[in-house]
Amino acid sequence: MKLYQLAFIIISLFIFQSCIQDDFVDDMVEPNLRISTPLDTIQLNTDFQFEEMFLNNIGNEVAIEAIWSSSNPAAISITDDGLATANMEGTSTISVTYNDGTNEYQDAIIVTVGATTIINLQVSTGAIATTSSYELTGDFTFEETIEGVKLTFEDNYAASTALPGLYVYLSNNANSVGNAYEIGAVEVFNGAHEYIIPNVDFSDYQYVVYFCKPFNVKVGDGDL
Amino acid sequence: MKNIIIILILSVSIFNNAFAGGPWPQPKGKGYFKLSEWWTVFDQHYTDAGLIDPNVTTGIFNTAFYGEYGVTDRLTTILNANLLSRNYMNNLKSMTTQEIIVAGEAIITFGDVDLGIKYGLTKPGKLPVSVSLILGIPSGKVNGGTLGNLATGDGEFNQILQVDTGFGFKIGKHISSYVSGYAAINNRTKEFSEEFRYGIEAGIGLLKNKVWITSKLNVVESFKNGATAENVTSTSIFANNTEFASIAFEANIYVTKNIGVSLGTAGAMRGEIIAAAPSYSVGVFYDMAK
Repeated sequence: MKLYQLAFIIISLFIFQSCIQDDFVDDMVEPNLRISTPLDTIQLNTDFQFEEMFLNNIGNEVAIEAIWSSSNPAAISITDDGLATANMEGTSTISVTYNDGTNEYQDAIIVTVGATTIINLQVSTGAIATTSSYELTGDFTFEETIEGVKLTFEDNYAASTALPGLYVYLSNNANSVGNAYEIGAVEVFNGAHEYIIPNVDFSDYQYVVYFCKPFNVKVGDGDL
Repeated sequence: MKNIIIILILSVSIFNNAFAGGPWPQPKGKGYFKLSEWWTVFDQHYTDAGLIDPNVTTGIFNTAFYGEYGVTDRLTTILNANLLSRNYMNNLKSMTTQEIIVAGEAIITFGDVDLGIKYGLTKPGKLPVSVSLILGIPSGKVNGGTLGNLATGDGEFNQILQVDTGFGFKIGKHISSYVSGYAAINNRTKEFSEEFRYGIEAGIGLLKNKVWITSKLNVVESFKNGATAENVTSTSIFANNTEFASIAFEANIYVTKNIGVSLGTAGAMRGEIIAAAPSYSVGVFYDMAK
């Protein structure tokens, strides 16, 4: 076989090398507006700045111009941008509204005027479950602490050890970790354990999700 | 990353040289050489439960040289070298915004190399039995790409001890055929589980042996005695205990007395932690024994 024939064969074989293309993930979610400051009681004759969070149709936080209102301005008055003032004892429903031109979104909490300002430390419980063929199960508690948020799994937690690179995230989109908070690689695959996550607020994320990071395979999730 | 999906695919390639191999050593001074392209593209895989789950589309392309050469009538040397290996993953994009969530990547490097010897235990006229020792040299790249999830090799040293046997026979007066089988133990380093491998192969020669059609069943069973993600100490990204049963078909067509082309396909019928897609190969070979 002559050299040019061999070269032709090799070049022909290289033609089979394929190019990088695109895979798509269905990551559409319902946009969501929520009050991120869980105020229970506001001290009489003091101010409190409320904050909101708006998550768009892929669960990303975006800045908006929301409108705040109070159902009982005599007790708690509030400016359009969320600065509340406790004027007299009583109770008011504090609402935040945003209209994107197509849809209107709203959230509300009930706030009482009292002797001192109380912001609730929030706690929720839930369970993770597999969304794949890999094992993932367990109950958890998600709570706000002074150090940050704490995600505590119970004894019934179990995760597959077969996957390369199983990672756990906090996300606002159960199908994507595009803008998720990466807690880290899973190191405990059975039994109780906990993650303490500083610099994250309780209301920042809606889901705990498990992904095989190297292959972008979703393994499971749980609602926070 | 010790990417077993790729490891197995790389490992399978040597066994997919169905037309050579078997229990028959090359005659002294004769050889069989093949230059081929082998590839698979998969967007789903077998899970540890044997079920099929999706994954980001991944492609593996190997340009490989396979050679057997008879040092004596009983002793044959074997080389399987992945001269050029390419591993890529697609971009992962948002269906909603079309924005890239995880950018795709590719690496192209020299791949793993298998070196081996085969020794015929029996004299001509007896049922041929041979033993082979194949050493898998981890010359490919591991932990490639930004996430360390691309690989053109397994990063561990395979030591495969294999026994082959088989026999040739005629169908009618003119059609040559053969059946062979093998069993092998693969001892592995770097906390990978050892493996038991076995398979059977059958071939039939048509058109005065100018066309050989072969099929081969390969099975890999893991001893599951290595590390898992739970107890691995060498890396934080680890998969192990891969198993599969695959079937391969290959056509070898002589275009001259010694030179021919081959076309092949293979795919897993069942598996654990392995690609769930067919692989394909095309190549040219030079058979000195003809």
